[in-house]
Amino acid sequence: MNITHNIRVIINGQTREISVAPNETLQDLLRYRLGLVGTKSGCETGDCGACTVIVDGKAVNSCLVLAVESNGSSVTTIEGISSNGELHPLQQAFIDHGAVQCGFCTPGMILAAKSLLDEDPNANEKDIRLALAGNLCRCTGYVSILKAVAAAGKTLRGGK
Amino acid sequence: MSNDHKVIGKSIPRLDARSKVLGEARYADDLSLPGMLYVKVVRSPHPNARIRSIDTSRARNYPGVISVLTAQDIPGEKLMGPIIKDQPVLCGEAVGYVGDAVALVGAETEQAAEEALELIKVDYEILAPVLDPFKAMEPGAPQVHSGGNIGTHSKVRRGDMEAAFRDATVVVEKRFFYPRVEHAYMEPEVAVVAPDPGGGFTVWSSTQYAHLDREEVSRVLGLPQSRVRVHQMMTGGGFGGKINPHAQCLAALIAWKAGRPAKLRYSREESLISSYKCHPFVMDMKLGANREGKLLALEATLVGNTGAYLLQGKAVITKSATHVSGPYYIPNIKADAYAVFTNCVPCGAMRGYGVPQVTFALESLMDELTGRLGLDPIELRMRNALDTTLPNATGQVMGASVPIKEMLGKAKLTVQSLKPLLQQAPAKGKLRAVGVGCSTRGIGSIRKPSRSTAVVSLHPDGSATVACGHVDLGQGSDTMMAQVAAEELGVDVDRVNVVTNDTAISPDCESTSASRVTYLSGNAVRLAAAKARQRVLEIAAGDLGCAPEELRLMNGSVVYREQGVTLAGLFSKHTFHSVTSVAEFLPDTVPPDPETGQGRPAGTYNFNVHVALVEVDEGTGQIRILRYLALTDVGHMINPLIVEGQVHGGMMMGLGSALMEEVKVENGVTNTSFATYLIPTTFDVPQELLIGVVEEPEPTGPFGAKGFAEGSLDPVGATIANAVSKAIGVRVTRLPMTSERIHELLSQR
Repeated sequence: MNITHNIRVIINGQTREISVAPNETLQDLLRYRLGLVGTKSGCETGDCGACTVIVDGKAVNSCLVLAVESNGSSVTTIEGISSNGELHPLQQAFIDHGAVQCGFCTPGMILAAKSLLDEDPNANEKDIRLALAGNLCRCTGYVSILKAVAAAGKTLRGGK
Repeated sequence: MSNDHKVIGKSIPRLDARSKVLGEARYADDLSLPGMLYVKVVRSPHPNARIRSIDTSRARNYPGVISVLTAQDIPGEKLMGPIIKDQPVLCGEAVGYVGDAVALVGAETEQAAEEALELIKVDYEILAPVLDPFKAMEPGAPQVHSGGNIGTHSKVRRGDMEAAFRDATVVVEKRFFYPRVEHAYMEPEVAVVAPDPGGGFTVWSSTQYAHLDREEVSRVLGLPQSRVRVHQMMTGGGFGGKINPHAQCLAALIAWKAGRPAKLRYSREESLISSYKCHPFVMDMKLGANREGKLLALEATLVGNTGAYLLQGKAVITKSATHVSGPYYIPNIKADAYAVFTNCVPCGAMRGYGVPQVTFALESLMDELTGRLGLDPIELRMRNALDTTLPNATGQVMGASVPIKEMLGKAKLTVQSLKPLLQQAPAKGKLRAVGVGCSTRGIGSIRKPSRSTAVVSLHPDGSATVACGHVDLGQGSDTMMAQVAAEELGVDVDRVNVVTNDTAISPDCESTSASRVTYLSGNAVRLAAAKARQRVLEIAAGDLGCAPEELRLMNGSVVYREQGVTLAGLFSKHTFHSVTSVAEFLPDTVPPDPETGQGRPAGTYNFNVHVALVEVDEGTGQIRILRYLALTDVGHMINPLIVEGQVHGGMMMGLGSALMEEVKVENGVTNTSFATYLIPTTFDVPQELLIGVVEEPEPTGPFGAKGFAEGSLDPVGATIANAVSKAIGVRVTRLPMTSERIHELLSQR
């Protein structure tokens, strides 16, 4: 009775062939079926940004994307941005600047920021505010997050 | 106090930050157990109704459904709550608000549970609700509970009000409104509960008070507390909102009934509708001063709408009454604070706990006085500020660490530095002004003394385990506790493991709330670590034939005149495996007298002075914060990076209630998503947000530290409202200052 679709997705660099239900969101696929629970679920209505992942270079709310829509795409989650224990500059900057408190918004924030810096390593403070405006944080007041992203941008530009 | 600390005062990044940036930190919803059922809750659509009957037969037979439960199935206590246990775990006879829990479904999949909810038929006899607290106090109003609609009444009585107001040259008086605010923790409520083979239960939860989860789950299941073990999972924020283990109890009921693990996670909508909020207050306040601007008398009636249940309402109300005079000495005070039952969503603990409310009213009246007296706002505050000899509203004199005047001095310099920006002609149609707001708060429970306990084990390799019950919700307390222990034991912070999240290991220290952890548990951890160190040094001194004072502990060795004895060798010789010490800290307090509010209710107090430069658009009423300064008093900083994070976060949360946040209730909560309940985003961060930390050590605090985390929220509404009132020339008396409201005030000019 249950109709499923077979999709092929590259997740964190690994090609996966998965059968998904037509109403299954990318968030649920990642979290509850693939065990990539670093992606957080905060509202399931696209308002909080906690479930942000990168699909083909763009930051998206994975709760608003159906898993079937990601067929043929490349998906990056928080589990996929460090390599062999070496942190991504954004991850290191979030630690160093106190941009992490409860940590629930952190994966989404980092991925939204990564998508911005990948596209524009010279992003300024205003660009950073805009890129993160859809990611809610209730702990930090955003101040240290904005600082961390600016610092990571500098590192990525080689200005360490 | 020695300033050559090795780890105290250092900006050590939080110990769990790495796991969080990697996405490896585990929150309760990340947990999945074999055979786990999914729980969904039937909630009342009516604010006030009697339950005639509940028909669960169709739901029971639905494919995938394993258990369906109603109130009559509960094996133990049927009422729960953090302080006052007046909320039904499941409503049996009546419902009190839209969102009250009525029945439970446990099913093999979340979808099956959700679908089965629709099949449960509850027959309600719908009754007229009472939503307004003033209507609820009228004779003949619908009774939310049989004991009347006034849930609690807190008083402060001091001096001769009549004479004081007669002597006053100036008297100002107004009614103020503070909104119902949502905590908006990013992680909604989650609990996983599993039966243990031995007959007990294990809980994995998002919680602010793991031991309360234990207490309530054991009460509801009718088990001894020792048979319930709670693991606090990484918790995605709390801000006072996760001190009511309702989800834990509901999941436990299904786990008990089905004999299988069960998970309940609230949707965001469910969380917004059903979880308790910050108390909205209506405050009538009257303040009198003499010609020189000395405050003579304060009269206040504070009405908090506590909704259908009291929960922590009594304590919130007491806190508001005892903090009614802020950081000022006012000789004559009469305050009456009430928690009133209505059929609204319940209200309970939220960051601030009654203090931001009274601070808004009092600080607004302080600015009204300045206008009448022709005094500068900072000068008026300076003339009345507390010092180490003057009593606050409870009659308590703090003998030390009262830096409010120093802070006002710094604020004055800031105000002066803003003059050029203020005088610079703003764009057409923009109004600019500067506002000031001050606050104070007692650290820890006001209503009763509360103790913290810590267990410190020093291991032969020099590392240490600290067990203490104050969980970390993201604020960084585990890291600070590690710093305190590391300092005492002479080891690196990463050699200390702090266990606060397991009720089988960590002693109950009451909830992580009331800005109490640094002060109470910081002291307990410090004392326990010092005891362990002393014991080791005494043993080593016996061996070496010297005095313990000649020895020190460093990186796993006892050092004597440049020579080291390893702990491993010392322990082995004296048959120790680890050296374990327990210590407690109980501040010297006296709760407020129920008739007069007089006592000595807090071990220490925190002070805050904020300054805002705002710009108001005359056409739209929109407010922009151009500059903001938050001065905070922390005693002595244990970790500056963490202090900064708390002040930023508290300030921005305060900005939310000042400018945009209000939970609206029309029968039930109507803003049921983050698309309709707006909280600050990156765009709302002031262009320049400065923090100033004043360090005047608290003699009774660990390394001179005291609590401060709520304080950074307390004066924000007042500060911004004072700036906006000055800019538009009309007194703001209602928060939040939405554009619509300010536009309306502008049109009244």
